Amino acid sequence: MTSSNPRPAIDIDHASFRLSGRDLVHDLTLSVRQGETLVLLGRSGSGKTTTLRLVNRLLEPTAGEVRVNGLRTTDWDPIRLRRGIGYVIQEGGLFPHFTVARNVGLVPRIENWPGERTRARVEEMLSLVGLSADLASRYPAQLSGGQRQRVGVARALAADPPILLLDEPFGALDPITRAELQKEFRALQQRLKKAVIFVTHDLHEALVLGDRVALMEEGRMIEDLPTTEFAHSTKPLVRAYVEAFSDAPERDER
Amino acid sequence: MRARDGTMLTEYCMRQQVARETRTLRAAYCLVLVLLLLLFLSTPSCTSRSNRIVVGSKNFTESMVLGEMFAQMIEARTHLEVERRFYLAGTFICHQAIVAGRIDVYPEYTGTALTAVLKEQPGQDKQAVYRRVMQKYENQFGLTLSPPLGFDDTFAIVIRGEDARRLKLRTLSQAATYTPQWRAGFGYEFMERPDGYKGLVAAYGLHFAEAPRIMDLGLITRALKEHQVDIVAGNNTDGLIPALDLFVLEDDRHYFPPYEGVAVMRVAMAREHPEVKAALDALAGAISDEDLRQVNYAVDGQRRDLSAVVRTFLQQRKLIN
Amino acid sequence: MNFWHFMVTNRQQVLDLTIEHITLVGISILFAVLLGIPLGIMITRKPQLSKLVLGSANVLQTIPALALFGFLLPMPWIGARGGRMAVLALTLYALLPLIRNTYAGIRNVDPAVVEAGRAMGLTDQQLLWQVELPLASGVIVAGIRIATVVSIGLATIAAAIGAGGLGEFIFRGLSMVHYQVILAGAVPAAVLALAADVGLGALERKLGMLYARA
Repeated sequence: MTSSNPRPAIDIDHASFRLSGRDLVHDLTLSVRQGETLVLLGRSGSGKTTTLRLVNRLLEPTAGEVRVNGLRTTDWDPIRLRRGIGYVIQEGGLFPHFTVARNVGLVPRIENWPGERTRARVEEMLSLVGLSADLASRYPAQLSGGQRQRVGVARALAADPPILLLDEPFGALDPITRAELQKEFRALQQRLKKAVIFVTHDLHEALVLGDRVALMEEGRMIEDLPTTEFAHSTKPLVRAYVEAFSDAPERDER
Repeated sequence: MRARDGTMLTEYCMRQQVARETRTLRAAYCLVLVLLLLLFLSTPSCTSRSNRIVVGSKNFTESMVLGEMFAQMIEARTHLEVERRFYLAGTFICHQAIVAGRIDVYPEYTGTALTAVLKEQPGQDKQAVYRRVMQKYENQFGLTLSPPLGFDDTFAIVIRGEDARRLKLRTLSQAATYTPQWRAGFGYEFMERPDGYKGLVAAYGLHFAEAPRIMDLGLITRALKEHQVDIVAGNNTDGLIPALDLFVLEDDRHYFPPYEGVAVMRVAMAREHPEVKAALDALAGAISDEDLRQVNYAVDGQRRDLSAVVRTFLQQRKLIN
Repeated sequence: MNFWHFMVTNRQQVLDLTIEHITLVGISILFAVLLGIPLGIMITRKPQLSKLVLGSANVLQTIPALALFGFLLPMPWIGARGGRMAVLALTLYALLPLIRNTYAGIRNVDPAVVEAGRAMGLTDQQLLWQVELPLASGVIVAGIRIATVVSIGLATIAAAIGAGGLGEFIFRGLSMVHYQVILAGAVPAAVLALAADVGLGALERKLGMLYARA
């Protein structure tokens, strides 16, 4: 369950998810290798979050298959599957009644790591995401938005899962903090080499963070290209996206 | 604030939170323990009830008169403290209370015990009813009875004294011939009970010209006195009977079931305090129908103090000094 | 004889009846908690049952207290003792606030928190005990508080079916038309209710502060 091998870490194979007569995700095919960052781009309602939930089996596909490390999600024990996947959401989802330390140490604890190892790991994670250790005793309500999101990432990485799913994690932050965190995340990913699906509706963020960008619309895959080629795609929706973001001050180039 | 210091700090912080939660949890456990302790204290074996005798009574004068008699007998003849819990709202409450051990003694009638508590058909023979109640009470409830106190508070069919003397009536059978000329007044309960109006009419072949007037029990005797009605059903030991010069017709066909007065007491208490049982047994046969009517009248009619009236009665009979 | 004099003279009886009263309420709330909180948790897991469970508890509440005591009279074993009937009736009355508050408390936990917890691989038991119950504990204790205060009042009616407690003073006082006796029952009952409200209210606030630092 670790280093890069030819088999993709995440493999979505013609998967669909139907609810109340509507396909939230339709005939989706997508794969992510270990060490790769895939950015899922799209408008609200395009099926990005649903796709994430299919990977960690919060939802099960109504058609097709979703495979994680070669095994169908439906064949995995859901608990073991999820403990091997880090999950960061926009609202943070930090437990308000746990300190930062207890939040970050959550998965190690329920995985029965010895206390000392957990503590050491919490220390490590906090420094990894750039937080000082004296924040460890604070509660989430006492932190700023940016600090909370960093804690969220630290928590997701604590048990060293090979896969990371992030759902617009920086969406609620101010532009400066967002830029800061994007840079840090990129550096982190280059070190850790996780298999990452990063959901956003922001093209800039996509181009900064992704190795590949996949555009979704109404549950369907529109375009799936390496980042360098994505902006030059001729598909109309991609063009529309590029147009929409062309008034923005900077275009980040890699 | 890294490495060593950092480690200690994180550990400290995690422990702080756990400590805080532990304190609250401990407070919660303490609360639960206190509640359990209170619960435990409330079980009968743990209170200092063993040196106190609780005497109960129902919520009418006669029951309290008898309860007061029991209380004073126990106080005079034993060294035990007596607590009075009078005015309990009826047979059911008294029974529940004595079965649960909240009271130790209360005055009851054999007929009521048979029908209201044991839910059996009313009996005819005094001794048979007494024996049946005694046996069932011991087996089912761990309760025992004193010997009959000497009176029978059964239904009484009552007429004005002047009519009894004028027509030379003594028994119900004799009075039956006059019923077509008489207006009857009965209470609601008497009309409804199976051992009430219907049975009476059948047993004695009574024929009333009109349907009986149904009246509140409190007004019935007055109505009789004022000639609004001529014959009523009341209680045999009603204090107003001698006071208003009323006459109780003898139930010569033994229609009405016996309601002999007894003291009901807990077997456990009687075993632990045989002197209490002895004190109550001393009342056996000591209170006649007439005695009770007089005492009832003194309390109800003359409004004299209950405690004083009972003391005088017991002293006059040399039951206490 | 004024009220205080009566209370002091009869303090043994007052104490006896107060303890009886607390026992009735204590046992009933204990049963209601043991039954109601799991039921509340269950309907958060199976929402299709929520209408049935909440609806039934609601119906029980609409039955007048004295009538409910009366219905229990003919039942075997339960109907033989006033105390048993009282505990059963008081438990049934306490169920609705407990089930409802448990259900509402858990449902009001931030869904993002629950989703994050589930996505991290917490089992349902872990989610329940480490996240949902602590965060809902303030609301749940509020339910216990409401149930307790109501039960203390209802338990005074239990004396009518021979269960004892402070209501016995009240009923006897009513028969005698003797207001000191009525007060000897009513005042301690009111004091108990107040104490429960304040005590449990403090616990409720403490838990709210401790756990819901949102």
